[in-house]
This record gives sequence, C-alpha cells and structure tokens, in this order.
Amino acid sequence: MLTIHTLNEHVRMSTQDLLLSIEEAVARGETDFNVEASGQHDIGGPLWNAEGKKLFFRVRNPGQRVGCMAMPNTEVVVEGPAPADVGWLNAGGRIVVRGDAGDTAGHCAAGGVIYIGGRAGTRSGSLMKHDPLYEEPELWILKNTGSFSFEFMGGGKAIVCGCDSQTLPSVLGDRPCVGMVGGVVYVRGPVAPLPADVCLVDIDRDDVLFLQRGLEDFLDAVHEQKRLKELSVWKQWHKIVPAGAKAAQATAMPTVAEYHKNEWVPGGIFADVFPDAGEHNGLVAHGIWRLRVPEWENHVHCAPCEYACPAGIPTQLRYNLLREGKSEEALRLVLDYTPFPGCVCGSVCPNPCMQICTRAGLDTAIQIGPLGRASRDVQLPKPKARTGKKIAVIGGGVGGLAAAWRLARKGHDVTVFEREKRMGGKMEQVIPRERLDENLLNHEIDRIARMGVKFANGVNVDAKKFEEIRASFDAVIVATGGHVARIFNWPGAERIVAGIDFMKAVNAGKKPKVADSVIVIGCGNAGMDAAAGAYKMGAKKVTCIDVQKPAAFEHEIEHIRSLGGEILWPVMTKEITKEGIITDDGRLIPGEEVIITIGEAPDLSFLPENTPKFRSWLAPQADQSIMKGVFAVGDTIRPGLLVHAIGSGNSAADAADAYVRGVPYEPAQKTLIDKGKLHTACFARSKETSANACDDYKRCVSCGTCRDCHTCEESCPELAISRVATDTGGFAYVSDPERCIGCGVCAGVCPCGIWTMHDNVVLEHG
Amino acid sequence: MEAVTTQDITVNDLQWKIEYRPEQCTLCGSCVAACTFGAIYVDMERLDKPVFTGSVPEGTRQHRAMPVIRQRSDINHACVGCGMCEKICPNTAIRPVRNEDSRMPLLQRQHGHPIKRGGRTNLNSQRTLDSIVVGRISQMTDPALDSERHTFDMRAPLGRVVDARHLPLAIDGNNLLIQGKTPPVRWIYPLIFSDMSIGALSPRAWEALTLAVGYLNEHCHLPVRMSSGEGGVPRKLMESDKFRYMILQIASGHFGWNRIVRAMPFMKTDPCAILIKIGQGAKPGDGGLLPAAKVGPHIQALRGVPKATLHSPPNHQGLYSIEESVQKMHLSLNAAFGFRVPVAIKCAASATSVSVYNNLLRDPYRICGGFFLDGIQGGTGAANEVSLDHTGHPIVSKLRDCYQAAVAQGLQGQIPLWAGGGIGMTGNAAADAFKMICLGANGVIVGKILIQLLGCIGNEHGRCNKCNTDKCPTGICTQDPRLMKRLDVDRGAQNVVDYVLAFDAELRKLMAPIGNSSLPVGRSDALVSTDRAVADKLGIQYAC
Repeated sequence: MLTIHTLNEHVRMSTQDLLLSIEEAVARGETDFNVEASGQHDIGGPLWNAEGKKLFFRVRNPGQRVGCMAMPNTEVVVEGPAPADVGWLNAGGRIVVRGDAGDTAGHCAAGGVIYIGGRAGTRSGSLMKHDPLYEEPELWILKNTGSFSFEFMGGGKAIVCGCDSQTLPSVLGDRPCVGMVGGVVYVRGPVAPLPADVCLVDIDRDDVLFLQRGLEDFLDAVHEQKRLKELSVWKQWHKIVPAGAKAAQATAMPTVAEYHKNEWVPGGIFADVFPDAGEHNGLVAHGIWRLRVPEWENHVHCAPCEYACPAGIPTQLRYNLLREGKSEEALRLVLDYTPFPGCVCGSVCPNPCMQICTRAGLDTAIQIGPLGRASRDVQLPKPKARTGKKIAVIGGGVGGLAAAWRLARKGHDVTVFEREKRMGGKMEQVIPRERLDENLLNHEIDRIARMGVKFANGVNVDAKKFEEIRASFDAVIVATGGHVARIFNWPGAERIVAGIDFMKAVNAGKKPKVADSVIVIGCGNAGMDAAAGAYKMGAKKVTCIDVQKPAAFEHEIEHIRSLGGEILWPVMTKEITKEGIITDDGRLIPGEEVIITIGEAPDLSFLPENTPKFRSWLAPQADQSIMKGVFAVGDTIRPGLLVHAIGSGNSAADAADAYVRGVPYEPAQKTLIDKGKLHTACFARSKETSANACDDYKRCVSCGTCRDCHTCEESCPELAISRVATDTGGFAYVSDPERCIGCGVCAGVCPCGIWTMHDNVVLEHG
Repeated sequence: MEAVTTQDITVNDLQWKIEYRPEQCTLCGSCVAACTFGAIYVDMERLDKPVFTGSVPEGTRQHRAMPVIRQRSDINHACVGCGMCEKICPNTAIRPVRNEDSRMPLLQRQHGHPIKRGGRTNLNSQRTLDSIVVGRISQMTDPALDSERHTFDMRAPLGRVVDARHLPLAIDGNNLLIQGKTPPVRWIYPLIFSDMSIGALSPRAWEALTLAVGYLNEHCHLPVRMSSGEGGVPRKLMESDKFRYMILQIASGHFGWNRIVRAMPFMKTDPCAILIKIGQGAKPGDGGLLPAAKVGPHIQALRGVPKATLHSPPNHQGLYSIEESVQKMHLSLNAAFGFRVPVAIKCAASATSVSVYNNLLRDPYRICGGFFLDGIQGGTGAANEVSLDHTGHPIVSKLRDCYQAAVAQGLQGQIPLWAGGGIGMTGNAAADAFKMICLGANGVIVGKILIQLLGCIGNEHGRCNKCNTDKCPTGICTQDPRLMKRLDVDRGAQNVVDYVLAFDAELRKLMAPIGNSSLPVGRSDALVSTDRAVADKLGIQYAC
C-alpha cells in the first residue's frame, strides 16, 4: 500500500503533482493507495493496472470529481464527505463516500456504482446514461438530494433512501427529473411535483429483489447496516420512470374540445342571439346546407323560337310530341296559335323563329316553317260548349281571321265583316300568288269557316254601320288593316302609283298596264313584290330605290336582280317627272312609271273622332281596347308582318273573351331561356337536315322543355336524380335534397337548360 | 362559334386561373359544390374533330362531347385562389394558379366603385423585423438561462404605471402603506388577441378565440387577453366570469355599447380593460366598414342597427384634440367601471404618433393606461384597397421613436406600449414579439395570424382576401350560417392554443440566451440588424 501525504510542513501538493505521482505508482504496479488529500481534484481515474489487477484508493478530504472517469476494477472509498461531482463520468468504478456529497454527484455516470452515505447536492444524478454494451450505472444516496436532481437522466438506476429526510417537502429537492427520458429513480419519502413526462409509480417484486440485494451491499459500504430494517418497509418505496405514451396521455391537460364541453359558458356565449348546435360540415354538404340547389324548370322559360314568334307558337312542344310519336297532337297544336300554319308559317312568313333557332347557331335551323305546311289538312272539331256571346270582327285579313278563329274555338258566335268579296285581306289581295298558293289560302280560310265563323263579305263598315255592329254584338274586333298608301308630297307626286293598289289589281287578275321602265320607291319585301309584279305585267326594266339599306330579304332582292332589276341606295328623291326621278343631288333615274311601296296606313274614318290615336294609327290600352268592348288588331295599331297580326289577333281575342265573360284579362308573361343554360355540344353538327320537317325532332334542341333524355339522371354523381310519373300522366325529374350536394352537374349536362342552379334559401342561424 | 371580341373578359384577365385536368376528373361535382364564389361551373365541351384511321386520306368527323369543370370569366365570380376546389378534389384534377398576366386591377372598378377587400396590404410586404436578428447571445460572458427550466416572469403591464416618486406612499412604523388612489394595472401576458369584431368575424370564429383565451388562462396559466373589437359583446359572456379576459373596445361607431352598458348590473367581474380605438393600421384615416351582406340578424341585434352597410366614422365625432379625447373618452370610460378598469387607447402608427404619446405621458391626471400602436401591415375585414395598400406607417421605427421619446424624459414604462400590425406575418410571432419588446414594446397585439390559425387561407399575395363579401370559404369572416358551419370551433381554438403555447416556449428560447428572466423591454442591445439603415434608424448594432 502506498500512502501519499499531500501536506508537508504547510506545503500542499498540487493536483497535478498528486495525479502524476499516482499515475507513476500505478505504472510501477502499485494497486493499493492511501491518499491523505487536501482538496486535490480528480482522484481515482481514469487508471488501470497493466495486468488487470484491481486498484484501490482510500481517500480523505478529496477535492472535486473524486472517482471521475473511474474504470472498472477501480474502487475509491472516501472516508468522510466529498465535494461536487463525485463519480463524474464514472465508467465502471466503485465509489463510496462515507458522508455527504456535493452538487452533481454521479453526473453523467454511465457505469459502475456510486454510494453516498449522506446527502447529495443539486443536480445529482443528472444526465446519467446506460450504454447498452456495459452494465447499468447505479447511484445510491442514503439521505436526500438537492434540487434539479436527475435532470435529463437517460439511463441507470438511482436510489434515494430518504433517511433523516422524511420531514422535508421533497427528498429529491425542487423540480426533480426534468427532462428524464430513461432509467429509474427509486425513492422513499416525499417528492416534489414531477414534470408531465415522468411518473411516480409503485414498485414491484423485481424492484424489491433489486433493493434487497443492493441495500445490504450499500449499507455495508457506507457503514450504515443499522438502517436496513428502517429501509426494508417496501410500501414506503416508489419509483420514478419516464412516462410511456399512455401514461403521458392520462396526465395530459384536457383538450380544448373537452374544455369547451365541460368548462365553457353553457350553450355558448351566443346562445341568445345566434343559436348554434355546433356541428360542423365538410366543404360538401347536403339538404339545407348546400350552397346551391337545382330546380327542374321544365317549360318555365320559352324556347327562342316560341319567344321570337309574335304568335307565340311553341315549336319545341310540337317536336317533343313528334319525338314521343304523337304526330297528330303535334300537328294540331299549332292551330291553338294560328289558323294559317300553311299560308303564314309555311309560305310567306320570314320565320323569325328560325332566325333565332338555337340549332341555327350549330348548323342549320330546325324546319319550323315547313312544319307548318304539315298541318294543312288538320281539322279541329267545333267546341261543344257555346257561350252565347256574339262577337263581330271588322276586317277579314290575317289578323281579323286569327282573332275570329280563336274566338270561335272558345265557343263564341263570331261574324267577320269584310269589304271585299273574298276573305284573306292582303294574303288574298296583295301577296303574289307565286309566294302564296291560292288553294292553300282557300283551304285554310275554309277551315275557319268550318269552325263556325260567319263570313259577311261586301260589307263596307262606315261610322253608322260601326255603331250598328257595336250595338248588336257583345264585343267588336277592329282589324281593318292598312290600305292607304303613304306618299310623300314631292313635286310630281301625283304621277305616283300606290304599290298596294297596283298589287291588288295584279292579284285580282286586272292585269294593270305598266310602262316599259318602272321605278319602285321603297325596297322592302313589298317593293320586291311590286317589282316582280311589274315584270309580270310586262315591264322591261325595273329600278328599285331606297333612302337606306334595303330591308327586303336577300333572296327577294336576288330574285328581282335575276329578272334584270336594279337596286339603288341611298337615293333621296327630290322630284318626279315624266322622265323619272330627280334625286336631291340632281341625277336623273329614268323611269316612265313610279310605284311607291313605303308602307300603308289604316283608314280609320269609321271610328268615332275621339278614338285614341298616335299619328295615323290606333293607340289602344294594354288589352288592345280602344273603347269599351272594342279591340284593335294588327296594322291598325302598327305596321308589321302577317305573323304580328296573328299574334295581335290572338291577344285581342283573349282580351275580348275575358271581356265578354266579365273576367280580368291577364296576358301570360313569357321569359326567354338563358342561352347559356343550353348545352348544344351534345349534338353533332351536320350539313344534313331531315327530308321531312316532321323528322327534325331529332335535331331540335328542345330549348327550355325537357326532352326526357335521362342525361341528368345518368350524370348525377350522387345518384340523387330520378324520373317520376306525375298525376297528370306526364313525368318529372326530381332531385333528392338529402343526396344532392348542389354541384350543378345536372344543370351542366342538360342539353335543354331545364335544371337550373339557384342559391339555397337564406338561413338565419345554425 | 360564339363571337368573342378583344375587349371581352376571359379567364386570362383574372387574377387566378383554374388549372383543370379533365383526364383526372370524375365529375363528382365536389369542387363546384364547395366553391362559395361560384367561380366554377359544369359545362359541356365539344370535342368534335376529324379522325383519320385508314391508309389514305379519308378523314371522318367524329362527334364527342364531355362534361367538364369550367371557370367563370366574369369579374363578379372571379376565382380568388382560395383553393377549396383543390382541397376537396379526390383526384388532384383542379387547382387555382396565380395568373401573372392578370388585368384585374384595371377591370375591377366597375361602375366607378373603388376596390374593396379584406386582409392586409398586398404591396408593402417587406418587413423590417426580418432584417433584425437576436445577436447578443450569452457565450462565456454570462450563463445563458435554461429556457425550459428557468422561472421566467412573462408579465406585461396594461394600465398606468406610476413611478415610485409619485406613489402615495407613507411609512407607518415598519410598514409601507399606500395612501390615496393609484390607477389600476393589469399584469398580463405580452400577447393580446387584437380587436376583430363580431361582424367582421362569424360568431363561431369569435367564440373560438374566446375559447382559446379561456383555455390558455385556465389550463396553461397564460393570462392572454382579447380585445372585443367594436361589434358588441355577447351578453352571456358579459355575465360570465370569463368576461375578465376581455378588453372592451370602443371605436367611433360605438357599436354594441348599449348592450354593454345595460349588462353592467349583471357582470360578475370587471373586464380586463377598455381600449379606445382611434384608428387602425390597415386603413388609417378610413373608418370601420361592415358591408350589408354581413349584417345578419344576430349582428343587427348586437349592434342595434338595420341590415345596411355600416360605416364607423373615420374619427370620433366630438373629439377634436388629444386633450379632449383624454377628458371625454378616458375619463368617462374610467368612470363607467368605477376607476377599477384600465383604459387604453389605440392609434394607427403615424408620422404624428410621438406627439400623441408625449402628450399622453404629460397628462397630469395619469389617466391613460396604455398606448396601442398599429402598423401598416395590420389586417382588416373590409376596406378600400387604396387605403390598405397605400396608407399607413411601418410599425417598428414608430414604436422605437415612442419608446425613445419616453426614455429621453425618464418616463418609459409608465404608459405601456403595445404594438402590432403584421406580427407573425412571416410565421413566427414569438420572434416578432421578442424583437418588438427589445425595441421598447411591453407586449404585442395580433389579429390576422389568429384567423389564419383558425383556418383562413388568405395572404398578402392576393390570395382570397374576400372577408368583405360574406363568402368566406372557411366560415371565419362570414355571417352566413351555411358557411359558418364549415368551421370546427374546437379544432380552430386548439390550433390557436397550440400556437400560443409554442409562442410562449419560443419567447423563452429567445429570453434565455440573452439572460433575461423578465421581458426584455427596451433591451435593444440584444438585437443586431443586417441592414445598415434599419440599424441606424433604430439605434441598434449593424452586423454583416
């Protein structure tokens, strides 16, 4: 044994000298040391005997870090207390302190065993680790530790026996085991609050076995055997271990949801002004929570053809009937709107329906005009229910006859008074036979007669006759048309021939004589008719002039050009001479005869003076009445197409019908389908049209009216749409609000624009 | 073909374009159902084309049509980039993409109306705070603190702090007594949930924030306070003990104060404080604005108004000077709660802020309990875009000026300085708060980041910001019960709580290395700037 005295006559050996002398002795083979130290640090390691013999150090009065980095096979026994860092980084030594230890005892120890036979300071056992290649480190403390003990402990075992400390608030000081992630601390006595990530639990059988065995050796080493019995009351022991995930959860704070449920203002702070059950929805919701909802708006809005037709003929309905195979119904349907599907729709009407036809934007318009001719031979039964009301129609032109037809079908007794010998007005008197087949006209007029309409021809209605008619009928329709040619008061105007009179003469077979060269003023369709009439009557050269771009249809103009006619515009007439027309810039347009076709005004001389008028025309009320029970139609109100007169005749008839029945007249308000809702991409574009107009149902888009194609039903991603039969024998498509998410796929695929997305109803609270 | 003219607005004119991959789309419709702005719709696409399959040129035209998702091209249904479509799409078939060729600014002023929106400035998004770092770290000079184990004092004052010389102290034997009255001071957490009104926010969003505040106080020991905003306070909250977390705001419209006054006899506790709002950083000089679309029945009830667009006047009617404001507003609101509740004032940062602060500091009645300064990067629920983008004042130097003005007079800390406007804009509110505190703030106020934590997807790069339309896709800035239903209150509040807990930990992480146990108010030595001009202006070290 080598005894080293570190004090010699008040001269103290430095730590360096002491450690070097120990190292030298170990190298010589010395294994047993008795160090009488005087505060020298780091005694005891890291040292080893070359032959593997055990090194033993008995130390008194050491400095800091006694036994630091001690190796296996090293034993350090301190007689009495030791200051800070006992066994710091102990790598396998057995270190015994028979007294108190300073701060950070066992700091970072990763092997061996440290016995403290008294108290240990702050941060004792901090950062202890267990290297899996070697044995677990142990740190035994007889009494208690200072604060922050076992911080960041990562492994090993610590045992704090709590002797003489049971009255302390905590045998581990304040804030023990912060950051502890491994190892175990056995403890006997009170423990300060632990962080959430470690927990204090009871010890088990294996723990007792470990403590039993360990305590004997520990108490022997620190000469405290007498405490064995005191320390063997196992129920006084607990252990601190890092909490597993489960244990951590058990001790965790409540979630905000739990706080909300259990500790918040009951019912929520807005319960009085904004009741809210609190459930939440995803981005996609059903029922009342949908942002938008689909509506199946079948025939709510007009197809463009119906909307553009002054008579309001719903052609899409005709084609839907044809599609369903109900061709008779389809061909009859048009007669609810016009008695002249052949003469007007199918012959002379410019067909505004076809100009606006959705299909025209795709390839070629649906053949709506030709479809009219298919109704030529359809006959309707007379209405069985008679009203007993007598209604007079003055004027047997297209407007008067349309009104008469409609009134007769409503069960009224209708008489049409006509100045001329034949019914038909301008259709009969003015429109060239080439454009309107006389047989067809007679056929359709005959259909009106067969409906029971009485024709009184050759009756010239003057003021007296008008009052007479008014007195003997329940209502009167004024449909005398426009037959007074409008002529400007140019010098030489007396030379002008009224186009309407010329055409009437042609149609009447009077073969009016015309000059070789003719000028027609006014390039509307009537002008083209007059020009054609002039050629037919023998003219060699016809020049048509207008102050503006000709209003006649291109094909009419082409027809005149093909006959050799010339169209000139803009031409301002200054004077008419026998050589022709002098223009305002002094040119001469040669022509021996001048025909004017710039419109006609009505002759209203038979009506009372105070009848409301605007310029030359009647200015009726909204229900077309001009006086009590008298309703105006067609060209007496404003010049227009034949089909305008039909529409006007229809509405006058409806107003008169309401009047004689004594019910208010409420004209239906029509809205045009939003073009953006139609999806024509479903239709292939094609140059071909159907040979038979009736077959065009395949091409008809059926704007605004369901064509029953099932596309929506097939496309709905939520399978919310189904087709149901209605009580009235029809069908409807319905969307189940509990399935529907309001995505609008139905509206997006519907070719006809039936499904429409609307904002869902406004909600007031949750 | 449809006639398209050069002046027609098409999707390429809009700020966001929908990128759609029809081959991925199953037409489940979810994106359209989810879009609150009606920016997309289902349409049919014609895919006709000639097809050549033989060995000789005998092409045939093939007809095919497919339903697709399309973007609306009209201004009123323009995509705002909120991305709900992308969120809901099961197949990644659709998403909004920012359009760099957008002509929206030129197209949006229809009928001569200025552009209105919510959010914060989209032009001044460069930030002073991002050129400042915490550069003074304890390294050997003194021990850094352990942020996780050290006990920090994280309290900031709200209320007039009287310096020791002016405290009415008297000595009675060995005891020090306070004789006479002292102003009330609350020592609270240095983070205030800033004033977002009920009206700007949905009841759900507002309640989520109060819930988070309650939780932070009762379970996390963080005395976070929340300013009500000027849209009234629900009566049930006023009658609850949780009312003590609230700072009542009074602005120029005085909305909701009738019910607040009437609730006084039923209050179990005083509110934390009163905040007089003079102006706000997002739109200084422009009054409050709540568009009619958002004035639902409950808002009408709380505010006592019909369904109409609600303007708060740009100034307090009847206040023409700082002195008058002190007399009328501060005195009356102090008196209303028996001089027990601190009364503070909030102004938009301005070239004149220091004058106002000096004036308040010199007030002999010591009646102002706090000076809140709001910078240009603050948010709003509705404003004219010209105000948002082109008016305001950066907060950092203005806060610093006010603090240094107080220091020069030895009055620092007496009227607590609270600063906001863009705190947390780049994601880390704790770092922003720390820097602001080092520059002289006692604490910070946050708003926009809170609703972003609730789920708001708006940002200062022009995404969404439709807080003014009542179409908020996240149910936060809307009064439509249908949209509100989208907001999971508990989940939103939990996010806020989690963020604030992390904020607290991060604030400690910054306090520890500079060795401060308490809030480092005015410790500008802890900061360095990598921008010379910023360093010079703020009086901090320049480093590069």
